[in-house]
Amino acid sequence: MWNTLYNWLDERLGLNDLYTNLLDRPEPLGNWWNTLGSASLFLFLLQGATGIFLTVYYTPSPDHAYDSIQYIMNDVAFGWLIRGIHHWGASLMVLVVFIHMLRVFVTASYKYPRELTWLVGIGLLLMTLGMGFTGYLLPWHQMAYWATTVGTQIAGSLPFLGDFVLKTLRGGPDLSALTLQRFFAAHIWILPAALVALIGAHLYLIIKHGESHFPDPED
Amino acid sequence: MNPETKQKINAKYERELQRGEFFWPDSIFKDVIVSLGIFLVLLLLATFVGVHDAPKADPSDTSYIPRPEWYFLFLFKFLALYGQIPVLGKIEWVATVVIPGLAIALLTLLPFIDKTPHRYYARRALPLAIMAILVLGIVLLTFLADVPTVAADGSSLLGTLQTLAGLVIPSLAYLAFIMFAYRARENAVRLISWTSLLAGVLMIGCTVATLALHQPAAAEAAEVPASLVDRIVAGQDLYSIHCVECHGEDGAVTTIEGVKGLEGKEIPPINGKDILYTLNDASLSEVIAYGRPDAGMNPFGKAYNPEGLTRSEIDYIVTFMRYSWDDRFEKPQIKPLFPPLAEGEVPSYAVHIQPIVKRYCISCHRPGKDSYNYFMDTYENILKSGDDSDSNVIAGDENSFLLQVIQGTPIPDTVNPGKDLIGVMPPKGHLKPDAIEAFRRWILMGMPETAEDAAGLTWPTPAATPKP
Ligand code: HEC
Ligand code: HEC
Ligand code: HEM
Repeated sequence: MWNTLYNWLDERLGLNDLYTNLLDRPEPLGNWWNTLGSASLFLFLLQGATGIFLTVYYTPSPDHAYDSIQYIMNDVAFGWLIRGIHHWGASLMVLVVFIHMLRVFVTASYKYPRELTWLVGIGLLLMTLGMGFTGYLLPWHQMAYWATTVGTQIAGSLPFLGDFVLKTLRGGPDLSALTLQRFFAAHIWILPAALVALIGAHLYLIIKHGESHFPDPED
Repeated sequence: MNPETKQKINAKYERELQRGEFFWPDSIFKDVIVSLGIFLVLLLLATFVGVHDAPKADPSDTSYIPRPEWYFLFLFKFLALYGQIPVLGKIEWVATVVIPGLAIALLTLLPFIDKTPHRYYARRALPLAIMAILVLGIVLLTFLADVPTVAADGSSLLGTLQTLAGLVIPSLAYLAFIMFAYRARENAVRLISWTSLLAGVLMIGCTVATLALHQPAAAEAAEVPASLVDRIVAGQDLYSIHCVECHGEDGAVTTIEGVKGLEGKEIPPINGKDILYTLNDASLSEVIAYGRPDAGMNPFGKAYNPEGLTRSEIDYIVTFMRYSWDDRFEKPQIKPLFPPLAEGEVPSYAVHIQPIVKRYCISCHRPGKDSYNYFMDTYENILKSGDDSDSNVIAGDENSFLLQVIQGTPIPDTVNPGKDLIGVMPPKGHLKPDAIEAFRRWILMGMPETAEDAAGLTWPTPAATPKP
């Protein structure tokens, strides 16, 4: 019965091909440092899942953002858990992605033929930091408000373009409802979409070239 | 890279695959364990540490010290240290744009800068050393984030140490690395390793010294009321301090009494449907923030009154008003103001008296209010301030002024016979019997400050001391 079903699906989906190409791949001997990339991926998926739950109640307006978060924390069943995971997951993701980058650097895995994997990786690192920066403003509390004021000011110190960048980030000369709306859009649509695309490219390249081996004196 | 090198690299990789493992199940197994571990850590953090929220954003409260997420702290610190450099430090965009931009550009282009085919660690001393010092610098600057560059006493020792750890030593180390890499051909690896070790130790040393020398100011962590009940109580305390004198404890006042300049003014009761049904939360906050300046109610919002209330505080007052007076809202069960006194129990300042004072007395008895200079904002002030500081609170004395006036006995004026020196307190209404009892026991038993101080004392039961 299961076999018939499996064969039926395999003929249409190519499950066996998927198995040999994705799972049954030979790899050099790895160790625990090699788990950091998939840990980043896991954290990204977890952030996505918890983030989707949060948007159900979160309202991106200066009048309601703070209260909607309080509502999630106090009144929604397990809202505190979902927000807690999303909050700590963000910190952990930055940490894990950064250490993943360090491990790739130390083992020189960015060299031929994996240069593009590294380039895409840098994009992923910057996007991850961008997620942290935009997400921090969303609860619209004092700390976030003033940190973002200073953060956008820093971006605004760019010579010549500074004023333009500042106004683009803030949606005006000051932090306002527009800023929150923009950061929200960046946090839930623009950056995640970019991240998904880059992660796709990253994973394709990894499967294409295989995991690099740990260098020995020959290398 | 020439084709031979590429071929060599690929051949070597083939050999590594031969003696390797399989993605499924060898690698996946480790990946799953690590991901599960991470998930567990997150569950524990979310459950036992939780999320610490700050008060609601308030664009008018510019006194707030901005604090980014921890992983950006090092950048803030770097900017602060950079600003200390003479001349160059004034050109802000060098530190905000040029240096981080250069770092990111170098990192991005790394595969095209470091083009040698060598991957073994000993052949890559230069990039490894540069990265090690960079990462160490980031970690140390993060730890230093809360240390000011100029100490409270004006000494610049802390700033100097931090600049050494965060800017000077790393820069010198980088210069040395590059020099060794291009000059000391055969000894380069050894020299670079030793220099990076030395620089690292010096950087850590300066950081540890800074942290040891710096006495952190006792952080006054603003507790943010989390639950609805906490917010209602916070609102009630604020209401008692700021609004009671005009609107009364229950918001029912229709004619203001005893407020300078507003004596006899007719106002709408703010606890009725007229106000609560017509004003939604946002307009109610707006009324409190903006006040009714024409009618005599000052603005309370920070935007109009530097000493005023923050957004969050105004929200708490609104929450309190809604849940106490608006019949469309059901007030949750609220803990009593202070735990009821057991037989023989002696109350303490911390547990019993402070909440009573905060709710019923402090609105008039705080700096800036003209109530015989009797300030009830701290333990010491309750015992020692006031025009009649010698008589207000006397340990063990039933005739303490405070005890008399809260029990409905005014203090007569000896200079102007027939007049009262001090009227009954609080001037309108009176304390509930259990609060009066708490004050009596507290003063008669010598005003214990903390619960521990009070625990050693017992209040004699009525049987032991028959009432006079
Ligand atoms: C110095 C006296 C004073 C204090 C203190 C004061 N108010 Fe008032 N309040 C008034 C007066 C006077 C009015 C009547 C305004 C009018 O007639 O339009 C008023 C009106 C109001 C109204 C009704 C506004 C309306 O649209 O009719 C509300 C609500 C209110 N106060 C809330 C508060 C709250 C909350 C506080 C404490 C944060 C407070 N007030 C503190 C004097 C005061
Ligand atoms: C509505 C404002 C108001 C409130 C509330 C209030 N007081 Fe007073 N208090 C005064 C004023 C005004 C005086 C100055 C004497 C007078 O006018 O009767 C005073 C004087 C006193 C004095 C004498 C101080 C001295 O040094 O002579 C004591 C003691 C005192 N109050 C205790 C209390 C206590 C205890 C409470 C809380 C239960 C309280 N008061 C609440 C307004 C207030
Ligand atoms: C959202 C962030 C990221 C995700 C989800 C991710 C995911 C992964 C995964 C699953 C792997 C294979 C397993 C491993 O080697 O750990 C990997 C490898 C790799 N990653 Fe990432 N990565 C991310 C960020 C980065 C960053 C910031 C860099 C560097 C700038 C980077 C560069 C690389 C390189 C070069 C490899 C190949 C390593 C090798 O073959 O040994 N990645 N990544």
